[in-house]
Amino acid sequence: MSNEQKYLSESEFDALVRELIASGKRVVAPVAAEDDLEPQADYRAVSDPAKIVLDGPLPRRSLKEFFLPATEALLRWRLKKGDVALDETEADYPETVVVGASPCDAAALPTVDRVMDWDYRDEPWFGRREATVVISRACPGRDSSCFCPVVGLAPDSTRGADVMLYPSGEDAGGYLVEVITERGAALVAAHSKHFQAPREPAGVARLREEARARVDGNSSARPDEIRRWLDKNFEHELWDRLAERCHGCGACAAVCPTCHCFDIVDEPEGGDSGTRRRNWDTCQAAVFTLHGSGHNPRETQNARFRQRVLHKFAIYPERFGEILCTGCGRCVRACPGGMDLPEILEELGRLATSSQSAGGTP
Amino acid sequence: MNLYTPHPVRVAEVIDETVDTRTLRLEFKDPAFAESFDFKAGQFGEYSVFGAGECTFCIASPPTRRGYIECSFKKVGKVTNAMRELEVGDTMGFRGPYGNHFPLDRMEGDNLLFIAGGIGLAPVRCVIWNALDLRDKFRDVTIVYGARSVGDLVYRRELEEWAGRDDVKLWQTVDPGGETPDWKGEVGFVPSVVEKAEPKAENTYAIICGPPIMIKFTLPVLIKLGFTKDRIFTTLENRMKCGLGKCGRCNIGPVYVCKDGPVFTAAQLEDLPPEF
Repeated sequence: MSNEQKYLSESEFDALVRELIASGKRVVAPVAAEDDLEPQADYRAVSDPAKIVLDGPLPRRSLKEFFLPATEALLRWRLKKGDVALDETEADYPETVVVGASPCDAAALPTVDRVMDWDYRDEPWFGRREATVVISRACPGRDSSCFCPVVGLAPDSTRGADVMLYPSGEDAGGYLVEVITERGAALVAAHSKHFQAPREPAGVARLREEARARVDGNSSARPDEIRRWLDKNFEHELWDRLAERCHGCGACAAVCPTCHCFDIVDEPEGGDSGTRRRNWDTCQAAVFTLHGSGHNPRETQNARFRQRVLHKFAIYPERFGEILCTGCGRCVRACPGGMDLPEILEELGRLATSSQSAGGTP
Repeated sequence: MNLYTPHPVRVAEVIDETVDTRTLRLEFKDPAFAESFDFKAGQFGEYSVFGAGECTFCIASPPTRRGYIECSFKKVGKVTNAMRELEVGDTMGFRGPYGNHFPLDRMEGDNLLFIAGGIGLAPVRCVIWNALDLRDKFRDVTIVYGARSVGDLVYRRELEEWAGRDDVKLWQTVDPGGETPDWKGEVGFVPSVVEKAEPKAENTYAIICGPPIMIKFTLPVLIKLGFTKDRIFTTLENRMKCGLGKCGRCNIGPVYVCKDGPVFTAAQLEDLPPEF
């Protein structure tokens, strides 16, 4: 680590959050989901640091909705006497500090930035990005569905984070703080009284190692090999059966930190006014690509699932140099049909290896 | 306003093409924007009826005719049904132009062969008028146009005009059974009429648009006539929402129809995965 470091105690963490809230900023953090039998967490705007659960489970949904809301108004229209008045709906985006982002969620943000600024700049996305500082917390490594190492990340990756917190591993709590970006430095400087001189608690390195060890063995898939295989095998018998368990419900896309596909629809409010909205969409739905003529280029669930795999592991890497996946494992946990992306990547990896040893696919 | 905000346009003219196909002429309401608006033949836009939503169509009028744009559509869904209800003076939205275009600059000095089927004439018509408005820049202009029946031919007035011009060779055809007693054109499918028209491939660019089945059977005819795949251009359609390379649905493998297309050469199509 060559970045600036600090130490933040448990009580100063609470004081920092209180100060951020008092300064008018929206603080988004993992909080316990209420009324659940099993412990669950969600990212929510908080008004009290006591609600924040940094050492709880991975939030059920990613941070995506704070940058690309599940539904957002793009514009409002009012028709009057054959003319139309168009109103901007939301040009001001709330100053936000995310506290306790999971590294797999923070990493998705710069990845999705690429498609949102591909010669046309998506102002709503960047409006929110620019108004937000992300403080990540090193992840303890969750469960067997985690596969961030496959996509080149780790439980302590700083990608997408402005500030990184590493749990001290001490009974008293507290964090080793690493300042990653200028935006992070500005935040730390503005609230400097809460941060102490750096010291590296002995527990930090141990926890980081344990976290990595917890997820490293989950998958041995190699995305570069898989991509080479995908590039040559658009048509392969594997695609004829892979999605047999897929219901096409799109839960995977909803919980995915990188899935960003959207629909644009009009919602009339009475006869002469209404809202044009952008809503999350999913490539797993048949209507996603349905033509007006009735023709559908992706007619089967298998074809739609192939699109999901290709978009993440071949198309996006080719267009933008990034894998469109952070290995968070939410798609596995959310799938009612038991589709398991890391398992599928393993299978693709095996095919890739065997086709290489067989002298390559024609 | 963000990049999804449309420009208000006024319906200036409503032209019925067939029983279920209509053309709208649209004028930008903001005079300054109307003045600055420019596009190239083959580009498309997102047209919207406030309350019904947006829909993707090519700009069917040529960039050489300034002050308006036209779109031709068939009534098939929510937005096109709402467009069908519009009258002269009504307001719509338009955002664009998006996508690439036919490289007409590169085609200057050469012959042009246009082949279209059904409403596939819309994007081709844009290029035809663009070329005819700059007639000196091109050599022979040949048009082969077919529809299922006489009643399905679109741009009837313009077909008559092209038929009457001595600097345009027009072949019109309808599918067998689609002719009327007074039909003077060909009877037969587009590929066989192209074969009959026997356009010379030398120094010629082909621009083709129509139903996939028409394109599929016309390409081998063109190849047989000596056209190379990099001189055959077509335009693809796919369901789109943003038109800006973001909403994630129009891709064919790694190719985004909205950004890399909609205009492709036959050579480029050959490299695409079979998913369109």
